[in-house]
Amino acid sequence: MATSDETDDRIGQAYRRRVRTTVRTAARKFRRAARPLWDRFRFARQDLTAATPTLPRVAYIFIAPFFLLFSVFLAFPVFYTLYLSFFEYQGVGQGSLFWVDLGPVYLEIPKIARLDFVGLGNYARLLGNDLFWQSMFNTSYILVIQVPLMIGLALALALALNASFLRLKGVFRTAIALPVSANLVAYSTVFLLLFNEQLGFLNYVLAGVGLGPVPWLTDGFWARNTIIAAVTWRWTGYNMIILLAGLQTIPQQLYEAAEIDGANRWEKFRYVTLPQLKPVFLFVVVLSTIGTFKLFAEPYVITGGGPTNSTITIVQYIYRQAFVNFNLGYASALTVVFVAVVSAFSVAQIKIGGED
Amino acid sequence: MREQRRKDAVWRFLTYAFVITMVVVMMVPLYWMLVAATLPQEQFLQFPPRLIPGTAFLDNFAALQERLDFVRTIRNSVLIAVVYTLLSLVLCSMAGFAFAKYEFKFKEPIFYAILATLVLPIQLLVIPLFLLMAQLDWTNTFRAIILPWAANPIGIFLMRQNMKSIPDALLESARMDGATEFQIFYRIALPTMRSSLAALAIILFLFQWDLFLYPLVILETADMYTIPIGLAQLTGFQRIYYDQIMVAATLAIVPMVVLFLVLQKQFVSGILAGSLKE
Repeated sequence: MATSDETDDRIGQAYRRRVRTTVRTAARKFRRAARPLWDRFRFARQDLTAATPTLPRVAYIFIAPFFLLFSVFLAFPVFYTLYLSFFEYQGVGQGSLFWVDLGPVYLEIPKIARLDFVGLGNYARLLGNDLFWQSMFNTSYILVIQVPLMIGLALALALALNASFLRLKGVFRTAIALPVSANLVAYSTVFLLLFNEQLGFLNYVLAGVGLGPVPWLTDGFWARNTIIAAVTWRWTGYNMIILLAGLQTIPQQLYEAAEIDGANRWEKFRYVTLPQLKPVFLFVVVLSTIGTFKLFAEPYVITGGGPTNSTITIVQYIYRQAFVNFNLGYASALTVVFVAVVSAFSVAQIKIGGED
Repeated sequence: MREQRRKDAVWRFLTYAFVITMVVVMMVPLYWMLVAATLPQEQFLQFPPRLIPGTAFLDNFAALQERLDFVRTIRNSVLIAVVYTLLSLVLCSMAGFAFAKYEFKFKEPIFYAILATLVLPIQLLVIPLFLLMAQLDWTNTFRAIILPWAANPIGIFLMRQNMKSIPDALLESARMDGATEFQIFYRIALPTMRSSLAALAIILFLFQWDLFLYPLVILETADMYTIPIGLAQLTGFQRIYYDQIMVAATLAIVPMVVLFLVLQKQFVSGILAGSLKE
């Protein structure tokens, strides 16, 4: 057996050597043939390098592509939304807003839309609109219940996973963080089924303990809670990851010192963990608050904003006004109000994040 | 002492019970999805529900494929997300390098202008972008989905922060050796940024993968749908076929779950970086 293996090996080696030699020869021939072409390419590249701007100006070339896209698709739309909020949208624009005729070069910027100026009319309209206030109420309701519930769970999980006695930490952490990877619409469709009144798994389990079918999707109160449950499922693991990272930065000596002083579990949590974790904790709260304000996919898929608008969120109301009713001016005014609220929270976020 | 030990045992038990309950809560929807995707519709509609996976996944998939070309939908989503991620990585790392390592006029104002847009929710851009795309005749195209978000403020912010840590002496010595500025960027700066680039790539990919409102407005025909839009259309039909929807949801979720399991470290650093915590 051994000898035959050796023979095989020797044959294999000889074969490989021959292949290698053939390939090398072919490559050498090819290189010799291609040298003039290659040299020409190298000279051209050197010329190009010599022509590229040196230090002081090269930075502009680095930022140019980013800045171009940024100006057209980010900076301009921000101001255009503000502009649009003072107008009523009449239709797609015709004719040009601005043009330069330089003989061979003709530049034209077309009108984006036909608009009627209404001043602050859109803002007056939204303040008097019941559905706007309904969407504000729904969003606030979800916010007030969902954010504390989720952060509480996330904090408890982070503390548990940070406990020294817990085994299988990696497995638990992975399992709890798994929903982070779930596509928003995909997981929403799963919840649509999970909370189905007749077929849903949840009502089946509740029936098993003698509770009876809960109208998760057809009753306004329960539908809001369904949204809360879905969002909590998706984002608890996300917040747990951030809180866990925060917990792990707390120096162990602080706990040891507290122990020497005879602190019990609650006192260690209250006087060491909480104050040390405060910046991360506040940060997570603000992040979740902003996330809840932006809620769209979940109510769109799970409840469609219903029943009778009891789960419609601000973004969903904006979407309906803009792209179902084509009240783009009014929807822009709604957007400006929405952004003002969210930005206030975001500024708080950056302030809190920048503190440490 | 014994009292203390008993208390500790109770505490441990409660901690385990809580963590395991939460794991079950997190797993049930995913398991339920898999069961629903593998059962024929009639079996699925039975009461009490079956809790063991069946074998009808491929049949359900064929039925789904007949109603909406979901393979194409997945291909669209992957294509858009990959192209977007690569493009945005190039733009963000180039610009981030300039902001970290060069001095130029208006550097601070430009950077703060970009940074200021970080606080703005992307929903702000949907209406004007819709009008812009309509004017450019770009509605129902992939470039309309990819380009507007390629200049990603989070990306440039992270790249600038990380590239600041590259020692100037390293760049200067390359310059002495006659390297051009672009060579310094892609031969020296970029290779040191590998882990930050991986984290940013995950942030960008997931951002585009989950984008819903904007493609909903821009994409019009079924052959252009991304996964979220295709799924939302399936739930909007007159008759809802749960088995098919769950097949589609499984196809949307399972690959990402696998990716998460494989690249967990990068996902976590992506989450931590994306939440702007340095």
